[in-house]
Amino acid sequence: MKRILKISIITGVLLIAGYIVHFPYHKWARKHVNYITATDDHPLNCISCHLYLQKDNLLARMVNRKYYSPLNLAVSDDGSMLFVSAQDAGMLLVVDPAANKVLKRIKVGNHPHSVAVDSDKKICYVTNQWSDDVSVVSLETGKVTDTLRTGNGPAGLALSPDRKRLFVVNSFSNNFSVFDLDSKEEVSRLSAGNNPTGIHFSPDGKSAWITSRRALIAPYGTPVMTELTKVDAAAQAVSEHRNIESAYMMENVAFTPTGDLALFSLIRPKNLVPSIQVERGWMMTHGFGVIEQKPGGRCVQLLIDEPNAYYPDPFGIAVTPDGKKAFISSSGVDCITVISIDSVRSILNTVPPETVATYANNLGISSRYVLKRIHTGANPKGIVLSPDGKSLYVAEQLEDRISVINTDKLEVAGIIDLGGPRKISVARHGRRLLNNAGHTFQNEYSCYTCHPDTHEDGLVYNMASKDMGRNITNTQSLRDIAETAPFKWNGLNQTVYKQDGMRFSTVLTRTEPFSSKDLDALTSYIMTGIPNPPDLEFNPNGELTDAQKRGKAIFERTRDFKGNEIPVVNRCVTCHPAPYYTNRKSADVGTLAATDDSILFDTPHLNNVIFSPPYLHDGRASTLEEIWTVYGQTEQHGALNDLTKTQLNDLIEYLKSLRDPAYNKESGRIYRASLSN
Amino acid sequence: MKKRLTLRSACITVATATLAGLLTSGFILHSRNSSGTKTDRESSGTPASDGKTTSSPVTTSIPEAKGMPVFGHWRNFTTADGLPSDHAYTVRIIGDSVLVGTHDGLAVYRNGKWRTYTTKDGLAHNGVVSIDYSKLTGDVWIGTLSGLSRWSAGKFETFNQFNSGMPNDLVYCVYCDGKDLWVATGGGAGRFDTYTRQWDIFTEQNAPMHEPWTYGVSTGNGKAYIAAWGGGVIEYDLKTKKFRDYTDPDGFMEIDLQPDDGLIHDITTATSWSDGILWVSTYFGMSRYDGKNWKGYFDHDSGLARNFINFLRAVGPVVYVCSDKGLSTFNGETWVTYKKNDTGEAGKAIIRTGNSIKEIPMSPCISHNFIIGVDARDNYLWVATAHGVSRGELIK
Repeated sequence: MKRILKISIITGVLLIAGYIVHFPYHKWARKHVNYITATDDHPLNCISCHLYLQKDNLLARMVNRKYYSPLNLAVSDDGSMLFVSAQDAGMLLVVDPAANKVLKRIKVGNHPHSVAVDSDKKICYVTNQWSDDVSVVSLETGKVTDTLRTGNGPAGLALSPDRKRLFVVNSFSNNFSVFDLDSKEEVSRLSAGNNPTGIHFSPDGKSAWITSRRALIAPYGTPVMTELTKVDAAAQAVSEHRNIESAYMMENVAFTPTGDLALFSLIRPKNLVPSIQVERGWMMTHGFGVIEQKPGGRCVQLLIDEPNAYYPDPFGIAVTPDGKKAFISSSGVDCITVISIDSVRSILNTVPPETVATYANNLGISSRYVLKRIHTGANPKGIVLSPDGKSLYVAEQLEDRISVINTDKLEVAGIIDLGGPRKISVARHGRRLLNNAGHTFQNEYSCYTCHPDTHEDGLVYNMASKDMGRNITNTQSLRDIAETAPFKWNGLNQTVYKQDGMRFSTVLTRTEPFSSKDLDALTSYIMTGIPNPPDLEFNPNGELTDAQKRGKAIFERTRDFKGNEIPVVNRCVTCHPAPYYTNRKSADVGTLAATDDSILFDTPHLNNVIFSPPYLHDGRASTLEEIWTVYGQTEQHGALNDLTKTQLNDLIEYLKSLRDPAYNKESGRIYRASLSN
Repeated sequence: MKKRLTLRSACITVATATLAGLLTSGFILHSRNSSGTKTDRESSGTPASDGKTTSSPVTTSIPEAKGMPVFGHWRNFTTADGLPSDHAYTVRIIGDSVLVGTHDGLAVYRNGKWRTYTTKDGLAHNGVVSIDYSKLTGDVWIGTLSGLSRWSAGKFETFNQFNSGMPNDLVYCVYCDGKDLWVATGGGAGRFDTYTRQWDIFTEQNAPMHEPWTYGVSTGNGKAYIAAWGGGVIEYDLKTKKFRDYTDPDGFMEIDLQPDDGLIHDITTATSWSDGILWVSTYFGMSRYDGKNWKGYFDHDSGLARNFINFLRAVGPVVYVCSDKGLSTFNGETWVTYKKNDTGEAGKAIIRTGNSIKEIPMSPCISHNFIIGVDARDNYLWVATAHGVSRGELIK
């Protein structure tokens, strides 16, 4: 009896204590979650935030996985081997498609991008976008035998038809390198577009086209213009800079077998109109360009979208050996679009040119040449045809596998599992959501569309809220932003939850908001899984150059060069302190435009700022210099008008050196492995 | 007596006249391509004949020139021929085209025709004062009165002091050295690394120049030579990154107190390095430096047309000197100076070796004696003057 009484009393006390604690705690938790998510109905699940927002500790290693994330691939001349760049694993995967098996996993550099194979010499060349080099891999030994130093951010590459030269596109430094493969020396480096990425030689080997992703920087209001660069292979010189109007994100290019046409993927942004309407392609449309390869040949743009369905983020493009079909990977909707080249030719040859010119804005035209859509796994990126044209291999980046498509039947004939983790982590799920357009109206665009590679697209938009034509804003990067809240140029979104929650669906996706689970996953990815590339061009190892040191002194100075004390509020380092170079507060830096609501602007972080032109909240400054040479007259954005040009150059050199703080922690190492999510 | 004297006089007169006529006809220079084809013209980097005839003196050999090239068959181009302006500031031969910088745009001569590019085509400014090209990439770099343009495969890209690290928009001189581009501007000299896209600026703050106004720059022998107005020549060692300067030991004196004691004057307008020799032009004569010894040249003691020199360019062993009173060319021993007569199209080539002088009449000659730019390649010489451009052919 006494025992029962004791148990009852203890239980009663515990219940009362729990009751006393629970409600206030619950109230606090509710308030906390409401603030974080800007909603009042997000589940009170501590784990969904606090576990999956761990970045790089033991917990993070427990809940996350290391994926391969295949990006691009190449095939041997006899079709017996596939060579796959595993971007997150830093590997080249050698795959036997017939055996459905990965034969070798070869460690290459950081963030491998593209592959070229010389079957005769049994050599593979792999660009390592975050190592600034090309790995030369012996296919016999399975080892890296040489490393070629390139420009910044090597991406696409191509062997010259005689296999004596290697052309490498440097995506971050806006140029391409030409290597002599006998001497392994870089013989020239030539300018090409803005964020160039893809390259392909014409069938006759006389020329090559290089595609660019970012538009040429121009004042807001100017039609978007992105460059296609033509290279004279023999002269190793640029023979044409062709501006493609109203298009950007031209990822890759391919030729018809006869060489009469070149096709390249593209996106047509509508950033010059307020984002009032999404329907009928008023935010983004997607398609491909066709350039006739004869003197005076036209460039025609055609859409792969339909009036009520869009196929965003076209990436890879390949043309069958018989020249009948082209395949485009629509990575935003997990499908391959199949194009009839004969139908395209018919349009070019029979439709009056002035009518063809309107097809770039005609959503109803694609039915004339789109043969089929073939659904794939998550995020199809690079594609390559087998030499006989019977199989199309597709790198499903967020599926860690290669799908094999029968090009006659136009259906998936097989899957090659690359051996990545079976479990899809929460952050990986978030990454899939970011890259998929399923949450936007009619799948018109994904987050990736404006934030390619989770960065920013270099464009300025009018994200219309209550007033059209007001508050023009520059797209911001999503890389390593976890410590830089609040978000949005006006600083009104204190968390990513709020940024991507209800407001997101109202202003951007125009559909129902993300479910709590999906929002948690998306937030987990954004907050933990998006690293910055290293700043290898301007700060490879943490040691500043003399000019950068002088610039740092200017950045941190408290007195100007005349000896006058600079007010604390006007010192660079006050608003931009390390390690993220933002004090996370809003300020007036004298950049309010007539179209801006009267607000203060959230101080942006400056890590890797050199990769984010244009600058200021509305992108008015084309270069870092212009922030002060053109727009710094009032000295509200730092007391810098006493600087000479040399001193300003030093400051700019220092700003170029500002890199992600994660690299500063490992200053002894030059390279940093990607987080794999 | 009178009759005998008249006969004798007549004989003497006839003989004299005959002799004079023979001597005169012997001076008429005649030049013909030995093969009779246009091959040499086409391979020289300029277009084939445009069909217009010239009537300059022709000779098959000029022994007095002692191997110095002598140019004739002058053809002059003005706005009447398609130039955008008669004020030509600079000229550069690039492949089979000739680029001329004028007051009103960039003029390009190709296949016998002129085509003009202006700010409407994307050029930084219509006042084009300097042109060079990169042998690595084929890009043409154009210095203008308000900015720098890179012309690549028909597209212009502009750099200025606001959107880049360039020192100043008044770009007097551009010079391509491998992957680097050097500029001399009104606000200092600069070097642009086309690979890293980084600018280095050299002004009075970090280089031994007393003010940043620079007119010219060239490189050679691992060094850059900056012509700094009033500052002599600033030498920058590309390897050690150290400076030194060369100034006139006579200071501000306008006379050359001690000949050949150093740079002839501090107001320098151009430098050009070739075959181990640095040539420097000033407003008060020309200097030659072989790495150890300086040699000065004035118009009063050499074949130099005038001490006031706007520009010079050395091609191999020959330096081409642009003065305000004619074009002089020199190889260290022999001068050949081209001057137009005060009236008409005619002029002459003056060949001087030591005190030996020979004049060769030319009609037409260069279009004007105020010369600002020059370039020579193979068999052609192009000259930018205050009244159009002139093209001369090598006389063989």
